[in-house]
Amino acid sequence: MFKNYLITAWRNIIKNGIFSLINISGLALGLMSCILIMLFVREETGFDKWLTDSDRIVRMHSAYYNPDNPPFLTVRSAGNMMEAVRDYAKNEVEDGVRLIRFGASVRKDDSALAEQVTFVDGSFFNIFDLSFVHGSKESSFKKPNDLVITEETAIKYFGKTDVIGEVMTVCCVGPEPSTVAVSGVIENLPDASHLDLDMIVYIDPVIVENNSGLNTWTSVNVYTYFKMRPGISLEQFQQRLTYWIDNESPFVQMFEENFGELAADAKISDNMRHKLMYLEDLHLRAREDAGNMGDLSPMGDKTLIITFSIVAALILLIACINFMNLSTARVSHRAREVAMRKVLGASRGQVAVQFLGEAIVIVLISLILALALVELLLPLYNQALGRQLELSLFSDLKLVFALLGLGLLIGLGAGSYPAIFLSGFQPGHLLRSSKGAESKTSSSLRLILVVVQFATSITLVVCTAVIYAQTQYAQSVDVGYVSEDKLVLNIRGAGDNRQRLRHELLKLPEISSVVYSSESPTQDNENNNQFTLLDGEHVVGENPQVLLNYHDMGYGFFEAYKVKPLAGRLFSEDFGSDEIKQDSDGQNGQLSASVILNESALRKFGFTSPQQAIGKTLESGNYKGQALTIIGIVPDIYFRSIKFGVRPTAYTMNTNRLRVASLTFSTNNVAALMEKVESIWKQTVPMQPIELQFLDEMMKAQYAEESIQLKMFSVFSLLAIVIACLGLYGLASFTTERRTREIGIRKVMGASVKDIVALLIWQFSKPVIIANLIAWPISIYAMLIWLESFSYRIDILWLGPICLVVGGSLLLVAWATVGGNAAKVARANPIKALRQE
Amino acid sequence: MLKLHNLCRMYRTDEVETVALNNVNIEIQKGEFVAIMGPSGCGKSTLLNLIGMLDSPSSGQYIFNDEDISSYSEKQLSAVRKHHIGFIFQNFNLIEELTVAENIELALLYHNIPAAERKEKVLAVMDMVGVAHRGKHMPSQLSGGQQQRVAVARAVVGNQGLILADEPTGNLDSAHGQEVMEMLRSLNQQGSTIVMVTHSPAHADYANRTINLFDGAVVTQSVRAA
Repeated sequence: MFKNYLITAWRNIIKNGIFSLINISGLALGLMSCILIMLFVREETGFDKWLTDSDRIVRMHSAYYNPDNPPFLTVRSAGNMMEAVRDYAKNEVEDGVRLIRFGASVRKDDSALAEQVTFVDGSFFNIFDLSFVHGSKESSFKKPNDLVITEETAIKYFGKTDVIGEVMTVCCVGPEPSTVAVSGVIENLPDASHLDLDMIVYIDPVIVENNSGLNTWTSVNVYTYFKMRPGISLEQFQQRLTYWIDNESPFVQMFEENFGELAADAKISDNMRHKLMYLEDLHLRAREDAGNMGDLSPMGDKTLIITFSIVAALILLIACINFMNLSTARVSHRAREVAMRKVLGASRGQVAVQFLGEAIVIVLISLILALALVELLLPLYNQALGRQLELSLFSDLKLVFALLGLGLLIGLGAGSYPAIFLSGFQPGHLLRSSKGAESKTSSSLRLILVVVQFATSITLVVCTAVIYAQTQYAQSVDVGYVSEDKLVLNIRGAGDNRQRLRHELLKLPEISSVVYSSESPTQDNENNNQFTLLDGEHVVGENPQVLLNYHDMGYGFFEAYKVKPLAGRLFSEDFGSDEIKQDSDGQNGQLSASVILNESALRKFGFTSPQQAIGKTLESGNYKGQALTIIGIVPDIYFRSIKFGVRPTAYTMNTNRLRVASLTFSTNNVAALMEKVESIWKQTVPMQPIELQFLDEMMKAQYAEESIQLKMFSVFSLLAIVIACLGLYGLASFTTERRTREIGIRKVMGASVKDIVALLIWQFSKPVIIANLIAWPISIYAMLIWLESFSYRIDILWLGPICLVVGGSLLLVAWATVGGNAAKVARANPIKALRQE
Repeated sequence: MLKLHNLCRMYRTDEVETVALNNVNIEIQKGEFVAIMGPSGCGKSTLLNLIGMLDSPSSGQYIFNDEDISSYSEKQLSAVRKHHIGFIFQNFNLIEELTVAENIELALLYHNIPAAERKEKVLAVMDMVGVAHRGKHMPSQLSGGQQQRVAVARAVVGNQGLILADEPTGNLDSAHGQEVMEMLRSLNQQGSTIVMVTHSPAHADYANRTINLFDGAVVTQSVRAA
């Protein structure tokens, strides 16, 4: 019996070559898309779960609420918090650790490389139980400046992994280069970790003492992790933490000193929130708490994961619909077989099982094909995503079973309708009738399913088009300065050689200017400070105290970026009074300097015109006692991606904070210029790796995430269309086959080929047009929500034309799909059709 | 009206070559009623299809209304066909999804005739074949005889001068068969030329002339005195 089923199934697959091909290839493409997306989703949702006790590790995020400003959110916290909380919440917390990361240059022998070095407390391995290749948790981090590196880093520097005791030098973090000794080598961390660690150094307490970045209650620079005791929930710990902040932390006194008694119903934790988040949630949810600042590694996007899961499901749905449609459409061809089986005694159940079995066989063939395609495309996919996803079928039984389960589910789902439908035939009627068993319901159900398919594809394509338009728009918005022909050079390591470097660079004929700043465009580290408007000793104005973002600029920065002042002047050496003054110990003295504001800051202070602000005096929280005269007002410029909007900003000139140089160049041979700059760097700043980038590439990189999303959307919506069209093609060729007699009659009556093609094409235009009418409102609604997250977005009136163009193009695609077949049938000799009864 | 000269039609499959018609020479005058008879597979239907321009000869000449149409293109043939030839089939070949009236109208649909005029003609011809009260019915609701009368109506609604009938009574009982034959005779008397393939000698007797085919060749032609 089973053999008979197999034989019938196999012969049917072979006999109906084109249908089987469409069925299998459509399903295979659908499964392939689904598997590719699920691999991505699986990795994104599995971040850090591999760490031992990952369900007990939490990170503390900070948020500061200020009545007049948007809240300041960050996933970091203040340096003094960890120890205080750990000691206070002894019952809840086993241990804690702080991480602080610096870009540093690491030297070994005569080579120097730029690295991200993570400085941590000695308790690091109590929290993160990483696997050691050499050394152990106990033997590493015995003393400050002990270094633990990954295998990969060990091989990069030493060519081997057994390197305990080897010594390297880390520069530009503390005041002096520090010597660090390898005390352990750990296995490389998987990609699926937000930690992204290569070199971990036990923080030197001396540096801690000297570094206000660590020894502080207010400046948020470190990533703080706690491991909770077994059985303690995040809520319990959170409650304890909040209680401490409100009642027993140093903040209680600080608040009283600064703001006086708190109102009876007010709490410190209303103004200053410390929120705990599970380690496993960090990758996808840290974004909620990150504000405008980043994390240790690029943050994931929960919405994106959900969106792509939906896309995967939709593509699979389209593929399954193909399968159902083509199977039921072919019913008339199988009707006699079903009838004969029934006449010979088969029960309805047996017939149903037979067809379900056939469906599952086809799904399994498709699955194998899909897996082969995934293997084939994975390198390309990884390249596009910047990931290292793997399809490890042999080592991952869970995945194998999941895929088989999926296959079975699709087989049952997509096969059940044909099975029920076919097995329900009355054999007598079937054998007698020369007509197919096609009923009105099954053909209208097919049309509905085609509408669903196309509505889905059109929605996907409209969304893709809107995302594309928005991405293009975002990159074309005038940022307010000239970003072309600029190189950005990190000069943090240059130290005293800075002036010589500038001098040498300006000797190059290609370089017209070299200007310094604390950050280059795209590099904004949300630096905020309180600025107060003063008149002599008195606070004045309607809005005297304002939180401003601040940058420091060298002479000529605005000129190089072609930013013109709206009022007043830019920083100029001619006055000699613009710089923030430092006294002999590097402290900021009781002197005066200049400040430039942007328009947003101007408005924040309540000035009504740029001229009004010129000559007024500000005091900055950073430079207490130093009077900053407002010398100029510049337009708002987008220092970062327009996603973040423009923040009220003050530009000062603290030469100690100048860390990058912007080089304006003009040349046709960029490669040669890069080489020249590099060789000048090597001569003037020895033993420092060069960090040189094109500004426009840095600006593009800000949109890397969107561009990956866009790529994925484009590819998958294209696949959705291909699959839907495969189905349409199959259905069209089937229908025309069914309608050959009618076509024959029409031709005998004098219909031309053109008439027939028009007739058939119209038949399939209807569902596509209906699909458009369904898809447009859905996609417009979805895209309106999506666009809301952008401060600058395309005019929503564009959605209409986009819908029309997409709908029209898909109609054309559908016509092309159906047309070829229709023309073939229309040209066929009608007598064949008329005699086939 | 039409003249076939040395007409041949061969069918080829990969290995076998079948001669369906071999050097057929036939002339049919306007106003004739010709019956074609012969055993199954002798080429009757092939001949009828060739006359109806639904098939093209492998060799030979076909002169229709004094024009050699052997070299006509599909498009030209289609034009000749729709203006001059009406078809009646054994299995009626009505479109299941269309009503009786719509089926008849189909023959005018491709003639660029305004809708009102089409409707008028359809009503007239339905009246003539006696299915006027069935206009809104679907073919499946009609008896075989009624269906064939609809098919006859469809064949003549466009004033086609030549009516080709391929066993028009083959699927009908004798009473209904007779009815259809009477109808064809009356059409012939009104001036239509009729070529009919049939198995039934009784029905062949309605014709003025009977052509007997055997193995693709004309064996005898018998003309009945009017």
